[in-house]
Amino acid sequence: MRNRIIDILKNTSGISDWRVLSTRTESTELFFVHKDLETVRSTDTTDIKVSVYVAHDGALGEATFSVYASFGDEQIKEEIEKAKKKANIIANQPYSLPENEQGEYVSASNFANYKPHELASLISNACFEADNVENGSINALEIFVYKDIIKVTNSRGIDKSQVKYRAMVEAIPTFNGAESVELYEQYNFTEFDRKLVVEEIAKKMREVKDRYEAKPPVAKLSCPVILDAPELEQLIGNYVGELGFGALYQHSNSFSVGDDMQKNSCGDRLTVTMCGEVTGSVRSSAFDSDGVTLVDRKIIENGKAVALWGGTRYAQYLGQVATGNLGCISVECGTLTNVEKTSKPYFRCASMSGLQVEIRNDYIGGEVRLGYYFDGEREIPVTGISISGKLSTALANMRLSNEAITYESYNGPKCAIFEGIEIV
Amino acid sequence: MSFSSFLNSRRESCRALVNELGKKYAYVGILGSDVKSSAIRVNRQVSDIGEGGAAECGFVVKMHNGRAFFEYSIDDISGDISALAQKIIDAVKVEESLVEREISVNVPADEPMVKSFSRECDFDSFSDEELLAKCVEIRDAILSKSDKLLNAMVAVMPFTVSKLFISKNRELDQFYSWVNVMAVGVYRDGEKMVMAREGTYSNLMGEALGEMPSHIDALVNKCQKLANAKPIVPGVYDVITDPSISGLIAHEAFGHGVEMDQFVKDRALAKYYVGDYVASPICNMHDGAAATFSTASYFFDDDGVLAHDTQIIKDGILVAGISDLVSATELGTEPTGNGRRQSYKRKAYSRMTNTFFCPGKDKLEDMIASIKHGYMLFETNNGMEDPKNWQIQCTAEYGIEIVDGKLTDNYVSPVVMSGSVPELLKSISMVSDDFKIIGAGSCGKGYKEWVRVSDGGPALKVRVKLA
Repeated sequence: MRNRIIDILKNTSGISDWRVLSTRTESTELFFVHKDLETVRSTDTTDIKVSVYVAHDGALGEATFSVYASFGDEQIKEEIEKAKKKANIIANQPYSLPENEQGEYVSASNFANYKPHELASLISNACFEADNVENGSINALEIFVYKDIIKVTNSRGIDKSQVKYRAMVEAIPTFNGAESVELYEQYNFTEFDRKLVVEEIAKKMREVKDRYEAKPPVAKLSCPVILDAPELEQLIGNYVGELGFGALYQHSNSFSVGDDMQKNSCGDRLTVTMCGEVTGSVRSSAFDSDGVTLVDRKIIENGKAVALWGGTRYAQYLGQVATGNLGCISVECGTLTNVEKTSKPYFRCASMSGLQVEIRNDYIGGEVRLGYYFDGEREIPVTGISISGKLSTALANMRLSNEAITYESYNGPKCAIFEGIEIV
Repeated sequence: MSFSSFLNSRRESCRALVNELGKKYAYVGILGSDVKSSAIRVNRQVSDIGEGGAAECGFVVKMHNGRAFFEYSIDDISGDISALAQKIIDAVKVEESLVEREISVNVPADEPMVKSFSRECDFDSFSDEELLAKCVEIRDAILSKSDKLLNAMVAVMPFTVSKLFISKNRELDQFYSWVNVMAVGVYRDGEKMVMAREGTYSNLMGEALGEMPSHIDALVNKCQKLANAKPIVPGVYDVITDPSISGLIAHEAFGHGVEMDQFVKDRALAKYYVGDYVASPICNMHDGAAATFSTASYFFDDDGVLAHDTQIIKDGILVAGISDLVSATELGTEPTGNGRRQSYKRKAYSRMTNTFFCPGKDKLEDMIASIKHGYMLFETNNGMEDPKNWQIQCTAEYGIEIVDGKLTDNYVSPVVMSGSVPELLKSISMVSDDFKIIGAGSCGKGYKEWVRVSDGGPALKVRVKLA
């Protein structure tokens, strides 16, 4: 199909450039209700997106459409003609497509060593192996094993492909007693290691037991707040989004290069690099949807924005060099040692409904489903509370752990401790 | 515009595949989906005509072997049907060790029905040029209102849905449309930059586009107010919710909690409270594709079950949940037409559609007048469910302080509402006599499986924790 489309595009007059982006996805999926296998799914689908570019009147127009498996040559030609017409009424600042790069990439993974059904079964077995807490259970478990083949080809000599493997576990660890409580677990990985899967689910099983035992604090807690890697990924993800070429070009950014993002800081200052790859992350990639080779870029150094990042179009509009649309974040560790962390009381958010980060409203907060209050000696599980504070104050006082961890698309401090966030 | 000619061309192949797979499976149903979606976007710097995120074309085959369910998603059904059937059978085979784990539930009912459904759509009356020109006109009108507007973004996002369902005894097809028009202002006042949005929506382009200009002043005014909004002092307050926030509460507090696939997994406390008071006696709540008319008003769901109007809470008592085919089969209940997929590539789950509280008898002005000190909350930002533990987190874009029974000019933003679901619902003390559905929402289950939903209702007076 791709070759047919490309042949037709090459023989179409009136277009300046074209791009064909395809993703074939094969999946094997298992859905358990308690320990019973309720549904088995398998998919074999291909998305093909075709973009056509038309230079006209000193401007550039583009339009994108999908080509489906059922399309014959005539239908493809019709869709190209429609897209040409659309591109002719769009008049944007011109930019060039990336040129003359070819490559075939295979993401690091051991998934190819297994048949998909076998791997899905092994992952489910590993999850159930961790389901050994007395009065605990996994009430629902979903296993997804994917293989993606991504190809991008354009009229300027870009021709790249990448094979990626990824798996996702969605598990609902539950603890049953006088009441029943649960936590939510989503775990993505690209390398199967039975022991790591067991450890990950076992950790959540311990936490759900803690949630069962957790109580609202008898008195208002007043102490520093600790956020772990999942929340740090969200927090820092909000900041890096402000430093994209597109955000700056469209005036929707709150920060720009040279700005101090941690004014009046008396804690650790952020140093953040946007990356194409973080080992084990399902968001790692060799190139973006335009075929631009991903190049890591340090965008925040010692709390100051030092560079922008993003794809080729908006990079060109701003006269900068594109990094490609990077999907991963690397954050330098800080100075907070474990000894220092445990030298005084703190409140650690272990499971949140969702961290709310509002840069424009200078707000950070959210409901904490499971937290731990460290009283100077031990962590006591706490529930039924929220956190709320000024983002600028939290960042100014932030101390970053000196231990690194990789979580999803984030590699950086294992946790951070914040002053000035209220626990309510 | 009308039902997909592509899906029509595959009817015979689908019937043949149902027959072929029916030799092995006790139940076979095929859903074909052809969704055409586009997005026309303009802002101060760039404009684009692209494909909308909902666009898709393909099939999902659902089977039941007398014990468990099996599904296969594929781009096309054509050619050698016997070979395709064998490919599907091979693809959904499980490891030997898992066979004994297969659940044992009854074969779904497959009541005979042949029907076509279609709703009026005027999208063909608007060319791309006209839509682009309208977006530019709205953008320019917004930008002309204030020098402090850094940018204005306007988008028109229409989609048409054609779905075909074929099983041994059923053949259904439906065609309907929806369009969302969105305008966003980016506004800077001194150091502070804010964004505000306004949306219109309809099954008819003419309606949705025609209404947007009347929202421009409200959008710019909101930008100005939000630029001066302060953080709220955390605490428990008397609160009036606008229809958007009422809908968010309906959706997050009880909507997710009565999705009956959660009952099957013992993931919803609501399972044990059917027949009990869970809310104030003046509280009534519905869900259903046929319950009102909005973005989730399809004719049949992704399991081939006709749209319902399900009353969930009646006079404060929990009376019913909402289900997809699989969960209803497992529970031995009638499915309620709530089986929805993000796309043909994804599994169907029990999902909300149009979810809302019913209007009451109070006047909004009386509700505001009844509050000594509190807030009126506006516009959904996001929410998160916790049906097992009946906790709730809902975020409003902004609130306006009420002092001595009057709305002030003091804006707070954002406002996060959290607490216990029964406490919140039982605290409902007044319900306004007006009603509005917001047809621009989307909803995930957990953190995935996004589908279009609407929610809304009247204004509610509640007592809740704000932060």
